Amino acid sequence: MHERLAVNGDLPVWAVALACALALVSLGVLLVFELRRRERGGPTIVLTGLLAVAALLAAVARPVRIAARESVIGAKVIVLSDLSRSMALPQTGKAPRAEVRDAAVAEIAKKAKEARLHVMGFGDGAPVPLSTKSTTADETPSQEARDSSAPRSDLTSALRALGASAEERPQAIVVVSDGRLDDPGEDATKEQLQALGRDLKVPIHTVATTVASPADASVRRVSAAGAAVAHVPLPLKVDVGCAGGLSCDELTVTARELREDGAPALLATGLAHLKDGKGTVDLAVTLDRAGARILEISITPPSGDTIPENDRRLLTFNVARERVRVLHVAGRPTSDVRALRQWLKSDASVDVVAFFILRTQSDTPNARQEDLSLIPFPVDELFTEHLPSFDAVVLQDFDAQPYGLERHLPQLARYVKAGGGLIMVGGQNSFVAGGYANTPLAEVLPVTLDGSAGATAADVANVVPAWTDDGRAAPLLSPLHDVVGEELPQMPGSNVLGDVRPGGLVLWAHPSRTTKSGAPMPILAIGDQGDGRSIALGLDGAWELEFSQLGARTSGRGYGALWDGLLGWLMRDPRFEPGQLELVSPCVADTPTKLRVRLPSATAQKDMTVEVRRLDRQDVPPIHVDVPKRSAGSSSAVEISLPALAAGGYTARLKLGAGPTTRRDFACESGGDEWADSRPDRERLRALASATGGSFHDATDDLTLPLPKPAVVSAERHVVPLAPSWAWSLAAAVALGVHWFARRRSGLS
Amino acid sequence: MHRSRARSLFVVSSLVAVAVAALIVALPRPARAFGDVGAFDPRVLLVGGVSGAARASAPARWSWELVQRTSAPGRLKPTQVRADDPSVVDAPFLFLSGENALASFTPQEISGLRKFFALGGILLVDDAGVSDDGAPSAFGRSAREQIARVLPDTSPIALGPDHVVFKTFYLLRRAEGRVAGPKTLEAIVRGGQVQVLFSSHDIGGALARGATGAWENPVVPGGDVQRERAIRLAVNIAMYTLCSNYKDDQVHAPFLMRRRALPVAP
Repeated sequence: MHERLAVNGDLPVWAVALACALALVSLGVLLVFELRRRERGGPTIVLTGLLAVAALLAAVARPVRIAARESVIGAKVIVLSDLSRSMALPQTGKAPRAEVRDAAVAEIAKKAKEARLHVMGFGDGAPVPLSTKSTTADETPSQEARDSSAPRSDLTSALRALGASAEERPQAIVVVSDGRLDDPGEDATKEQLQALGRDLKVPIHTVATTVASPADASVRRVSAAGAAVAHVPLPLKVDVGCAGGLSCDELTVTARELREDGAPALLATGLAHLKDGKGTVDLAVTLDRAGARILEISITPPSGDTIPENDRRLLTFNVARERVRVLHVAGRPTSDVRALRQWLKSDASVDVVAFFILRTQSDTPNARQEDLSLIPFPVDELFTEHLPSFDAVVLQDFDAQPYGLERHLPQLARYVKAGGGLIMVGGQNSFVAGGYANTPLAEVLPVTLDGSAGATAADVANVVPAWTDDGRAAPLLSPLHDVVGEELPQMPGSNVLGDVRPGGLVLWAHPSRTTKSGAPMPILAIGDQGDGRSIALGLDGAWELEFSQLGARTSGRGYGALWDGLLGWLMRDPRFEPGQLELVSPCVADTPTKLRVRLPSATAQKDMTVEVRRLDRQDVPPIHVDVPKRSAGSSSAVEISLPALAAGGYTARLKLGAGPTTRRDFACESGGDEWADSRPDRERLRALASATGGSFHDATDDLTLPLPKPAVVSAERHVVPLAPSWAWSLAAAVALGVHWFARRRSGLS
Repeated sequence: MHRSRARSLFVVSSLVAVAVAALIVALPRPARAFGDVGAFDPRVLLVGGVSGAARASAPARWSWELVQRTSAPGRLKPTQVRADDPSVVDAPFLFLSGENALASFTPQEISGLRKFFALGGILLVDDAGVSDDGAPSAFGRSAREQIARVLPDTSPIALGPDHVVFKTFYLLRRAEGRVAGPKTLEAIVRGGQVQVLFSSHDIGGALARGATGAWENPVVPGGDVQRERAIRLAVNIAMYTLCSNYKDDQVHAPFLMRRRALPVAP
């Protein structure tokens, strides 16, 4: 308990001050005038006068004794510790920024003993507590503090979150960072920085962990003008930089697409001229395949570069497809060709380039060339220069030999493996009859072809294809299944196809004919081929889904439903994928990551594996992770953990049983945007402190910060008058009386 | 000497024969056509009292000309189908021809034809009784009336030489048949597709050829030259049925524009 004396609480301050002033004046008069007098009893008069003044003052003040139990509460101070990945940047010969940060936080805690420090980490979004009690110098940094893994350093969001919080407001904020912040940005104005502290109305002190820039050349920023659309040039602006005393006047910048089927494809290259350590180059890249594509933007660094990880960026572009561009080649006009053409042309999102062979060498039109509307079949142009511009190629009843296609089959096979789509539709000129067996194109079909001498090319007996179990379950056939159920029309014969290749799936089979291995002969099969996909439809009677009794009952919708699924699957339309893969959060190199697998309920009990393969390193063995089976009624999404992956491009394939896969390409980077610019930014921290009334320090400085004083809070208080008021009044009266008596005895009035 | 030469000849011949046989065996056996089901079939429509094609030999001749001149397959023995038969929807093309007035279509016939058109089928109505100066016959007039009952929401429009049916295989400047008739064809177009073609030219009359190989009908006024053009129109119609508007594709446009500028052989 703490005791002290005080004046009575009912006196206003000005009254106490006036009383004291009058008492002092009186004392002055007594001492100056009365002591000078030579009359008898001068000292007595002064003494009694002093007593009287004191008694009067006491009667006015009426002192009390205050006994109180008090606490000293330190000011709440939040220390925001930068947890972004830039704090993990290595620094040759020096402690990493994260270590400097942690040491600075500990030093602040040690010096600010009177304050209540709350250490929080900021990165992306609201700050997270790193310690729920005051941090002292004896505490080691938490694991959260040691992990500098946040993908951004967004101080603005962290401050706004603190301002919106219902908890006790801090009285000061300390930011410990390297200054390389996403928000506020480099070009933030003073007003914008002031606004950061306005909500909380507190000063923001800043501590910079890093002074000097490392010797580093890097790809600092890659920005695209607009969305990526297949076959449409995409302008890229690449900012590069050199810092830390590294000398570079020019940097070569290269853009490559990482592909599964081989070496990365060079898309563009340019030369950036640097001034004051910064340079920009504009590149235009054209991506031919839709979906998630991984681009590598890299520089050739000068010698002395100490951070090679940011010499390249691996970026995922989600390439949209404005329209599906299809090359439709038919060997002769038939009702099947008519049906497919009409379906392709009826879809506004499909851009068809069609060539039908209307006349062969043996035909006799009985007309001059100029009387015919026929044009030469531009086979060379189509299958060399223009081939990459197509999303899919349909070869319908088309014989490779008479029209010069044979020499382009290797190119067509490469096109499929590089991501293109191929559908071979049956007829008397397709598959074995078309001379495709034992050619490179046969290697990218989902079924084998018998190329032996005398091989049978077709079975001309009428056939009703039989649905396989995989066909019933395949999402790409569900639109057709919804229209026709299990019923299919009788088709006029089928091409003879061989066994399905590994990774392929048979959706329809011949009801009675078998392959050499004894399996039911495929009639409709699908398969993945490298980056691309292919379909084998060994019929020329699919048009009977339209023109038949079944067609009449279903208003002809079956044909369109079939081709919706076939072309959609070829284009990797998510509606027709057996499952979907997505990253739970961006992949950081050397850190475990998670994949979310979404599956339709029909696959709940199938064996499922995810295979993860490097796009840019074919020599690295793939990783296989089993997907746990789900119980009935459980969620359609499952998360699986992938081990730490090295920096690079990856493709993850979901394998359900033996069939084609769903794939997702993604990139793992060491530092991403956070490592793109390794320069610390002390000036930004200094400007922030200055704009908000705080102080700026380097981590190596004395970190005794000008924090608010602690508040004293009384928990218990007793006020007891030293004497009752009448006693003070009586004492004053007596003292005045004695003083008057003394004055009278001395002959004074 | 003579014997050894004979022996050598025998050996060489045997070797050649073996080689040829091996070649034949080595070649993949060509697939026989998957029936004629997907081929062009000028199916004769039996409706409104019509019991067959007005020109009996015309449909088969039509297929024959198509097969000879183009890569398209054709049924050399065309079929015929009643409008009220469920099998009317089994193929995308119907051929109706006649000289006499049609009887009023029954509800079943109308229903059958509507199902056919709903699937996208094409009907050629060829007036075999058209006069030499092109005036439609009772068949031609009644056919238009009855088709209007089947498709009441549309009216025929004229198809000029810019329409794709005049360039699906041959480049034609006008329609012609046994008679010259009007330069245009008339058509009912639905959803951008020609579904009914009206010919006031007796195209079948130009095609019809007897078993002896003689043409059954004289072509007026242009004779054999006009007959050739009529056959070409028939081929074009077949190609339109099988290829739709393929020749309207942009990739063909520059070629066709250049060719159109050239004089056409008579």
